[in-house]
This record gives sequence, structure tokens and C-alpha cells, in this order.
Amino acid sequence: MMINYRTIAIIKRELKAKLFSKSFISMTLFIPIFMIGILGIQTYLMKYESDSNTVLFVAAGNYTLKERLQSEFADQDYVKSKDYTIVCLSVADSKFDGFLTERKKELLEGKISAIVQVPDSALIKKDIGYYSTNPNNNTVHLKIRDAINKVLVETYFEGKNLSEDDLQYAKARVSITGYKVTKDEKVEEEGPGNTILAFVFTFLIYFALLMIGTMMMRSVQEEKNTRVVEVLLSSVSSFELISGKIIGLVITSLVQMAIWLTPVMLLISTSWFVIPPELILKIDFTLILFFLYNYGISLVTFLGLFAMVGAVFANDQDAQNGVWPVTMTIMIPFFIALSMMSNPENNIARISSMLPIASLMVMPARLTMIEVPLWQFILSLFVNLISAYVIFRVAAKLYRIGILRTGKSPKWSEIVKWLKYKD
Amino acid sequence: MHALEVKNLCKSFNSINAVDNVSFTISENSIFGLIGRNGAGKTTTIRMMMNIYLPDKGEVILRGAKIGQEFRDRVGYLPEERGLYKQMKVIDTVQFFAEVKGKTGRKLLKKADEYLERFGLLDRKNSKVEDLSKGNQQKLQFITTILHDPDFVILDEPFSGLDPVNINIIKEIILELKQKGKVIIFSTHLMDFAEKLCDEIAMIDRGKIILSGKLSEIKKSYAQNNISLHYRGDLSFLNENPIIESIQDFGNTTGIKLKHGTDSQLLLKMLVDNNIALTKFDANEISLQEIFINLAGKDE
Repeated sequence: MMINYRTIAIIKRELKAKLFSKSFISMTLFIPIFMIGILGIQTYLMKYESDSNTVLFVAAGNYTLKERLQSEFADQDYVKSKDYTIVCLSVADSKFDGFLTERKKELLEGKISAIVQVPDSALIKKDIGYYSTNPNNNTVHLKIRDAINKVLVETYFEGKNLSEDDLQYAKARVSITGYKVTKDEKVEEEGPGNTILAFVFTFLIYFALLMIGTMMMRSVQEEKNTRVVEVLLSSVSSFELISGKIIGLVITSLVQMAIWLTPVMLLISTSWFVIPPELILKIDFTLILFFLYNYGISLVTFLGLFAMVGAVFANDQDAQNGVWPVTMTIMIPFFIALSMMSNPENNIARISSMLPIASLMVMPARLTMIEVPLWQFILSLFVNLISAYVIFRVAAKLYRIGILRTGKSPKWSEIVKWLKYKD
Repeated sequence: MHALEVKNLCKSFNSINAVDNVSFTISENSIFGLIGRNGAGKTTTIRMMMNIYLPDKGEVILRGAKIGQEFRDRVGYLPEERGLYKQMKVIDTVQFFAEVKGKTGRKLLKKADEYLERFGLLDRKNSKVEDLSKGNQQKLQFITTILHDPDFVILDEPFSGLDPVNINIIKEIILELKQKGKVIIFSTHLMDFAEKLCDEIAMIDRGKIILSGKLSEIKKSYAQNNISLHYRGDLSFLNENPIIESIQDFGNTTGIKLKHGTDSQLLLKMLVDNNIALTKFDANEISLQEIFINLAGKDE
């Protein structure tokens, strides 16, 4: 890219119009608040809304089971807090169908959330029935499962001469702790902190790219529609113009990203924040620097494309149609990166972390969660640089042709033909 | 050597020849008019001169060399379709367009203030462009065109949409620029302006140059048998008169072309005999409008 007084003037104008605009500053501050707000609302909903006022009828196959279940549930926090009302009854397996028919009306009216059948056979197969208008309510399943399991284990081993320790062991759930194995022979315990960070990185890239991309598209459309571009092109070449605009917006967006990442940097470099040990982040500044560098390359790649769409499609409706392929190239890697949250080493994620465009979003998430082989990392850097250059050249060419066109929007076939035009 | 030379420019859009083999030259320190009807190809020609459109064929030569960035740096361009950033302040706008040309500093700001004052915009320098009236936006755009002191000023239809007072200010500035040795090129479909201001013209019609050269020489060559009248009365008696070849009547002003070999005194006598009150009888002058209509209007 050419940097001279003309591009510097364009960059300065972009910074003044975007970085220092009230709307941009408020968006930059609003998004973290928005994210925290969304997480807060989600937590609130999970905690208070989804299963409060749950009324469960537990039909135990015999009296002993009923007594034990009643006593176990009485100790549970969700019962003590009165979010759950659990009524335990003794209903013989053979009478359960009649019991269900009797209570059906209450179930349908919502007076009872569910009837949980703990039959005698549960002491052999641990199969529990859950009868409800909403039978697959995982929130309730997860809550009552442990208590029922505890009672079944206790009942099952009763009279089998097990010590209290044996019993405790049998009742306990398997707990899996993740240890990250790295090349430098360190084996460290790793909590979900880095997975959460990978999610935050992915979400930030996705959101910021769409936001700044739309900003670029609208800015080019404005220049085209108000015909400012004609005056600009009498002073600067179209290449200088698109370069200046991209550099201006890359700076703007990197500043925004740095602001958003400040809390993460403070988290790993200071002891100002007290966070649970399992959420401690195992990352260093190199990753943050790589993240910013990678984001800069993403911006060059995508801003060129958004500028091209703005130049080719002048009116909003056509631009909406024109921008979807570009949006898809951001959305698909976003979903691939999200799929890594359950298994960071899935094949699609591994391959797409080395593919042009997709790599920009998938590789930072992989690096945050696992140790990526060096060759894959270098390959992705190389692929990203080449693809950013190629896309920028193509976008600059289509921008030059599209920006001065007036009249109806071109078809995709026409746009492909433009690529063959001589410069 | 000419200041600027346009050589065989061609440009077509979807098989329509917008500009067809256009050539003309522009002398140093002159005011040049590119004149023609709406849609004749003036703006397309100017856009190619500005390197905004790439010509299909032909080239533009600046003092012997093909135009490039050097020309862009030394030109001030006012496009036909005006365009400014609506959200920018007036003073930021003039500064930005000067910066793009490499001009900054206090001197520039002082000069900006002078021009803003001249156009009555100084008290609006901190207003946003979108808050200015259309006329004021046009004046601001004109200021951004000349503030960086360009050697070449290219104005595409500079007078359209302006009131007479502001038209006069722009005319004055054009003449001042000429006195400073600049080359001014403007396009217009208003022959009257071109006639009063231009040293040289090129007349374009349907994408082709139909006449070009020094205005004084053009008028001289077309002056034979032409009489320009300012009068009061009824000239209908001249219709179908054997000494008259054609009449262009505009109410109070008329251009009359006499048939070859007719003495203009004969026409003068006829006018007096028919009680026409003459305020002007110019036997040597032909208006640019008449030349244009004779050339461009004959195929209508």
C-alpha cells in the first residue's frame, strides 16, 4: 500500500469521522456491557426462571424408597429455597398407570410440573420415568438425578456390609479434570477459563468485523451516492483511496479491540481481580499480540470486500443482497469456532484453521484452547497474508470500476467480467 | 507548446459512443470553454481529462507529457454533480480537500477564511455541511476547488444553480485566476457565459467536436453576412424576404444571416422604412449561440 500525504489525509479523515464519532465511542463501550448483560440475563433466567415453582410428584415403588427420597430431597438447596416442591409418594409399580391417569389433569393444567417414577426395578436397572408436558427438561433432570442416584445406591448396598467410605465412594460422581499437555513437558491443570476466553475472542472478532465492515460499506455508499468520490478521485487514485480508508478503519477497529481486550490483559498480568481458580487463564501476551495481528489481517481481508460491495451496489436493498456472501464468510468460521467449545480438536476446526478466510477466526480460538503444531500455525499465517493480498487486489479493482458506475446494480456475472478489465 | 492537449479521446458505454475521437488544445494562461448541449459528452470528456474515466482510446497531454499524478496535484476540479461529506464541518471540509492536495498550514486557513468571507460563509465555518443550503454547499465546493492554488482549474457547469450575485463572484474569481497565470477550463451549455469569458472554445455535439479554436477567430470567420440586432417592433415582414437566408429571433435580440452578396445597408433601410426602433445594429458580430445553433441544430 502506498503511504503518502494523500493517503494520510484520507486516513486522518476516516479516523476523525469514525474513531472519534460519538456513535462509535458509545458502541465500543456498549458492546462489553451488552455481552455482560446477556450473560447476566442468561444466568438469571437459568437460575430463577426456568425451574422456579417446579412441583414434582415422586412415585416411589415402595415405602422405604419413598421415605429415603423424601429425606434426601428435603436436604437439597432447591427444595430449601422453595423453588422446588417435591411430594414423595409410595406407589406400587402395578398401580402406577392408574396413579398417572388420576394426576393427568393436574399435569396438563400445570399444577404439577412432572411425575417422577422411581420403580422397584430402579434398584436393578436405575431406569427412572419422567412424565410431564415438558419431558426433556434438562434443568430438572440434572438437579434431581444426583439425589435419586444417592438413594438408589444407599438402598442397593444396604445389608451388604459396606463401610461408610465404600458407600460414599459408590455414591460419588466421576469428576474429570482437564490437564493440558504441552511440548515443553509441562503438564498443567486447565479449567474452562481458556475455553471461555476462546468463545470471547471468537465472539469479539465476529461482532467487530461485522460492525466495522458495515461501517465501511456505508461510508463507501455515502461517497458514491453524494458523488464526493468524483472529487476525491480527481486528487487521489482509487487504490490510494481504498488503501487510506482501509488503514483508517483498521486503526479504528484495532483501537476498539485493544479497549475490549484490556480487561483480559489486566486479568492475566495483575492480581486486581479475584476469580475462581478453575477459571484462571493460561495465556500470555504473545497470544494477545498474535490475536491483534491476526485481527488486523482479518480487517484488511474483509474491509476490502465490504468496500467493494459498497462501491458496486449503491442502494441499500441491492447492497443487502450483495453483502450476504461476505457475511457468510464471517458466519461460517464463527460457527466452526463455536463448535470447538465442545471438542477443540475436531477435524473441521483443524482443517479450517489453515484455510483462507476461515483461519482468521478459527486459529485464534484453537491457539487459546490447545497447543497447535508449529507448522499449522506458520501455514495459517502464510495463507492469511496471501489471501489478504489477493482479496485486497481484487476488491480494489472492483471498487475502482464500481465506484463511478451509476444506474441499476450489476449482475454477479457482470462483476466477474470486470475482473478481466485491464487496469 | 500547449498547456494541455486532448488527443483522439474515445469512450463508449454499452455500445453508445459518449465521446467519439475528441481532440482540442488549450493554451497557457487562457480561459477555455467546452460547450455543448446537455448529454453532448462534455462531462465524460472532462472525466477522462481528470483520469476518473479511463478512455477507450486517446490520451491527454500536459505540457508535452502524458497526464499522471503531477496533473492531479496541480488541478482543482469542480464536478457537475457536486459532492461533499454531509457530516463534516465547513472548515474541516476545506482543510481536508486542501490536505489531499498536500496543502496545510496557517496561510491556508487564512486564505480559506478570505474565500468564506467573500462568499458570505465565514459565520458558517463551524456548521455542518448538511445544515447549509444547496446554494451555499455549491459555493463551499467551489472554494474547495481553488483553495489549494491549482495551476489548472476545471469547472464542470460552474454556474448552474447559483443566483446572479454568486455567479458574478465566480466570474470575478475566474478572471482573477487568469490574471495570476492559471489555465481555466469550464464546460457549459450556456453560450452567453462562454462568449463573455472564454479565450478559446471547443464545441461538442453528440460526442464529436464540431468546432474548436480561439473564440475571436471563430467569430470572425462566421461574421460574414451576419447581423446582430437589438430592436423594438415587429420583424415579421422579413420572413420569406429574398435577401434573408435565416433569422434567429429571441424577442429583443435577433441574429440575421443575409444571402451571399447582399449589402447590409439594404437591410438597414428596410428596417427603418418599417418603423423598427433600433438600439443596436452590428454587422460584424455573430453570437456564439447562433454559431452553435447553426452547427449543432442543423440536424434536428
